[in-house]
Amino acid sequence: MSANAINNIEVRIPTILRPFTAGAKTVTAQGATLRDLIADLGKQFNGLEERLMENGALLRFINVYVNDEDVRFIGGLDLALNAGDNVTILPAVAGGANRSGAI
Amino acid sequence: MERTAVARFNSLVESVGRTPLIGLPKLSPAPNVRLWAKMEDRNPTGSVKDRAALYMIEKAEAEGLLKPGSTILEPTSGNTGISLAMIAKLRGYQMICVMPENTSVERRQLLEMWGAKIISSPAAGGSNEAVRVAKELAKENPTWVFLYQYGNPANSEAHFHGTGPELLEDLPTITHFIAGLGTTGTLMGTGRFFRQHKPDVEIIAAEPRYGELVYGLRNIDEGFIPELFDPTVLTRRFSVGAHDSVRRVRQLLDEEGIFAGISTGAILHAAIGIGNEVVKSGKSADIAFILCDAGWKYLSTGIYHGNISEAEERLEGQLWA
Repeated sequence: MSANAINNIEVRIPTILRPFTAGAKTVTAQGATLRDLIADLGKQFNGLEERLMENGALLRFINVYVNDEDVRFIGGLDLALNAGDNVTILPAVAGGANRSGAI
Repeated sequence: MERTAVARFNSLVESVGRTPLIGLPKLSPAPNVRLWAKMEDRNPTGSVKDRAALYMIEKAEAEGLLKPGSTILEPTSGNTGISLAMIAKLRGYQMICVMPENTSVERRQLLEMWGAKIISSPAAGGSNEAVRVAKELAKENPTWVFLYQYGNPANSEAHFHGTGPELLEDLPTITHFIAGLGTTGTLMGTGRFFRQHKPDVEIIAAEPRYGELVYGLRNIDEGFIPELFDPTVLTRRFSVGAHDSVRRVRQLLDEEGIFAGISTGAILHAAIGIGNEVVKSGKSADIAFILCDAGWKYLSTGIYHGNISEAEERLEGQLWA
């Protein structure tokens, strides 16, 4: 599958990043790998890639799960994605931080 | 079977640990891919946290930080506070817990029964906020002893010297170890033990995924990773939501007769997933997981009966692990 493959991956966006997706909880993006998918998210939603990545790596407080598994243990940004996979992005918290007034 | 003969203790705290390992013949995915529950509800206050609490207190005593009449401060969503309060009561310490408001009512009742004072941190801050408030209080009250389970190496040492060796003794054929990821103490300590003594054992984290509101930080820099966490100890890490946790905790009750707390459902979900993968690969496995506590403290959530989606809704915004 090429970098611009069309595989329509569903991506769940955490509350804190929804200002970048016009409030959407889930969006659809394309990518043969997680790296490509994040680049596509950046193209679709201005500023989002910078909130996930720094110097070519995932930010320390950002966790990404593919089919409920943390990508840092299964290939990281090079993980291959296939149609039907689902991606969840979450901030790292100590078991919860539902601040009122959160964006 | 020398160990099972030891069933007499001179006091309650001495009975921490040495919990039974119970097979799950009905939930095991194949005769050669077996699931085993490490029954941490059998600890004196009914949770795995008794291990870390005892180690942290005894280390602070040995270092001269804790003296008769001392006050202990700890941020906790419940179980660690309950364990610390029991030991504090027996040893003559005061116990102050900083606890988020959105935890089950039973945890609060138990803490008060063992004599702990509770300082509530806003529900709108979850455990992150409890940690922040406790750190501030520790600064303002330097005579209080701040054990701090998220960063105290004694937390993971309890599992390095206890949980790990017990599992290897009871299950020398162990291939996978699965536990919840909170302070990370159970996984770090048990994981390091296996890295040294049986390095091929896979160390797998099951992390509770709460309702989405729980992740509503104002800024990503408010994220929190426990100081104890070393990702190189882990093999894999799964995120498990309330729906799967409730479904599995009910299955554990229905099929094996074991009444566990909700976080154990998340861990069992990961264990069954791993078991099914092993079956597909044609291999054998002995998969041990932590049963963190029993279900008593969660009855008020109403998750053990009725429609699962409704149960899931009741957990929205709750810190259920």
